[in-house]
Amino acid sequence: MKKEWNQYDPGSLYDELIAAVHQPREASYKLVEYLRHLTPDRFRQCVQESEVVIREMGITFTVYSDAGNIDRAWPFDIIPRIIHAAEWDRTEIGLKQRIRALNMFIQDIYNGGQILKDGVMPADVVLQSKGYRKACIGMTPPHGVWANICGSDLVRHSDGVLYVLEDNLRVPSGVAYMLENRNITKRVLPEIFNTLPIRPVSNYPAQLYEMLASLRPDLDDPTIALMTPGVYNSAYFEHAFLAQQAGLVLLEGADLVVGNDNYVYMKTIKGLERVDVIYRRIDDDFIDPEVFREDSMLGVPGIMRAWKEGKVAIANAPGCGVADDKVIYAYVPDMIRYYLGEEPSLPNVPTYVCRRDEDRAYVLEHLAELVVKPANESGGYGMLVGPHSTPEKVEEFRKLIQEDPNNYIAQPTLSLSVTPTSCETADKGHIKIAPRHVDLRPFILSGKDIFVTPGGLTRVALVEGSLIVNSSQGGGSKDTWIVGDVMEGEEV
Amino acid sequence: MLSRVAERVYWMARYLERAEKTARLINVHTALLMDLPGRMEINWFTLIRLFNAEKVFSEHYQSGNEANIMQFLIADTNNSSSLATSLANVRENVRTSLDVLPEEIWEQANQIHLLMTNSLPRISDRYSRQIFLREVMKHCQCIRGALDSNMSRDHSFDFMQIGKHLERTDMTSRILEMTSLLLSEDRSDTLRKYDGILWTNLLQALGGRQMYLQHVHSRVEGASVMRFLMNDNVFPGSVSYSLAAMSRRMRYLPDPEMAMTMAYRVLEHTKREDVGAIPAEKVHTLMDYLQSELGVLHTEIAKTWFYPDSNGQHQSQG
Repeated sequence: MKKEWNQYDPGSLYDELIAAVHQPREASYKLVEYLRHLTPDRFRQCVQESEVVIREMGITFTVYSDAGNIDRAWPFDIIPRIIHAAEWDRTEIGLKQRIRALNMFIQDIYNGGQILKDGVMPADVVLQSKGYRKACIGMTPPHGVWANICGSDLVRHSDGVLYVLEDNLRVPSGVAYMLENRNITKRVLPEIFNTLPIRPVSNYPAQLYEMLASLRPDLDDPTIALMTPGVYNSAYFEHAFLAQQAGLVLLEGADLVVGNDNYVYMKTIKGLERVDVIYRRIDDDFIDPEVFREDSMLGVPGIMRAWKEGKVAIANAPGCGVADDKVIYAYVPDMIRYYLGEEPSLPNVPTYVCRRDEDRAYVLEHLAELVVKPANESGGYGMLVGPHSTPEKVEEFRKLIQEDPNNYIAQPTLSLSVTPTSCETADKGHIKIAPRHVDLRPFILSGKDIFVTPGGLTRVALVEGSLIVNSSQGGGSKDTWIVGDVMEGEEV
Repeated sequence: MLSRVAERVYWMARYLERAEKTARLINVHTALLMDLPGRMEINWFTLIRLFNAEKVFSEHYQSGNEANIMQFLIADTNNSSSLATSLANVRENVRTSLDVLPEEIWEQANQIHLLMTNSLPRISDRYSRQIFLREVMKHCQCIRGALDSNMSRDHSFDFMQIGKHLERTDMTSRILEMTSLLLSEDRSDTLRKYDGILWTNLLQALGGRQMYLQHVHSRVEGASVMRFLMNDNVFPGSVSYSLAAMSRRMRYLPDPEMAMTMAYRVLEHTKREDVGAIPAEKVHTLMDYLQSELGVLHTEIAKTWFYPDSNGQHQSQG
């Protein structure tokens, strides 16, 4: 593949593997050399092998609109994305700092809201947030931790800096694909693992289990379950996979019942058995029809009562979604200073909060250059991407912002970094290596301790020039390697 | 274990057994027809009758030729007993029970699914079809082997064993039902000449030819074959063996009394009848009885363990 790699040119974009034409970065040097020396036939064979492995391992995701076709093969690119260990260590420190502050924030706002009284952020930003749950007032979950599993999205701008784009605190998904991506890569490129110190990710299920168990410090051997909305949910594969890998009971709301003693029980062949910890993969809104949406069939009536009495631990804690809000995101650096007395080590993307007069004036003036996001949407919905939009759309958002400034933030359009990705060309069967945009979702577990996955899930926009990395919209993914230095004489 | 998961692994085992037996039966039947002269009472349509599928088949197909019948039995998802349906159900039940199964089962279920998808276009060709059916049998045995070697003898395993034995008994009874035809007095003289071949094929369809030769005797004749398949105590494909194994498994489960008693009742009944000595029309009646008792037994199993609080008033998968 020498020719393909020699022709590779990321242009003015920041590239994760290649510093400049013919110049791999330090941590990627060995990988690029290895791939350069593969023949096109061998490379193609690796790509095909990865496709077979994905189908045989049943790595799928569900797409609601696919009638009759429940699951689709996971789109995967075999060229890993590499981050140098030294950079990752700094990032990990920043992620831990961030989740500590976020958890202290959630704990605070359900217990007096000192941060609001001290005027660090306006009260109505919190009280009007869609994720704010009155039912949680006065609660303190084990260790004071609300967001036990967090998936923060990181993006690298053309300045080479990693920015936090958002924190997914409700039911973040993708970690199963991170684990499976590594499994596929091991099967497809086994030789390369001998030559590089790549940090392993396979410990995640064990760490997940430990974290969940730590939520019931009073029990030696708690019964832990993963609660899924069911087999038609888009993340069902991940739910089943995690339950299998971590040794959790996989169950649905219909398998559970809350007893008169306010304990949660599951319906087994022996009758009812107690469940002590629930890793729920279902939104607050649906978790308890007694408290939230009455029409929900997915949840368990009474589970909030059980949770409030401490008879069951729920991860993530109900109400933790309050910090999963794009306006509140803008205040995270302030939270870090307020609660921890530290400077944030990971930067936010510069954010204009439209409720502030000065910010709003700037936003309205520069709409066509900015990305505008409503507070509570996820998955890229309801957004304006100024530079890729039409004048009509821009005017529509001008109105929206003027009518409800509190609901909007705006950010400069980032130039996402790229990484070499294999692409089939129109010329039948020929594979070319081309730059494609990526982001990164590390996963942070918080219980008694905090644990960050080494790397995370790299999502890649497979279409040339596209910034859309969501798998439901044609994005793919890659294995992500944190690669350290090999000390002289050290064996790897 | 969760009641819902118990139900899924039970059905997974049933469909796995059904798929393997269906593949084997089609292959053996094909071999048998190659030994028989044309235009006999035994023909391709015999397979349709074996699955009690005359009605569904005639709704979808004009003629009972080999191509249509193979399409119907192997690939047709309108047919709830087709190989494709059974294997899809195996996969779906594995997919929804990943937390209790050894992890490689999922990979194997996917492999067999891919084999199915890739082979369907070629099943009308007898040569490719036989290779394909052999592959299916091999994959089914692989899954069973992985379950046998790697799975703890927990309740999930118990439910799988119960499902497997129940389905096996049902399949055996259907195949034995066909012997009414072989035993009947008014069959043609030509067919009588092929007696040995017919009984040998019957044994092969149930994977019991060699065990019959070893443990019964070297001459293959009707009454002995019938007795072997109904009442042999050591051959794992016999009706008695399966029923006994099923009841033994139930003992490990909570509150098994009702279901066990029922299984023993069926077992006692089949032991009382000397199937080798009864007239053809009574074989048919006996198998009908057996099948309906298996249906009742299934309902009892569902009521006891899958839906303990609702009297079994639920849709079943089969």
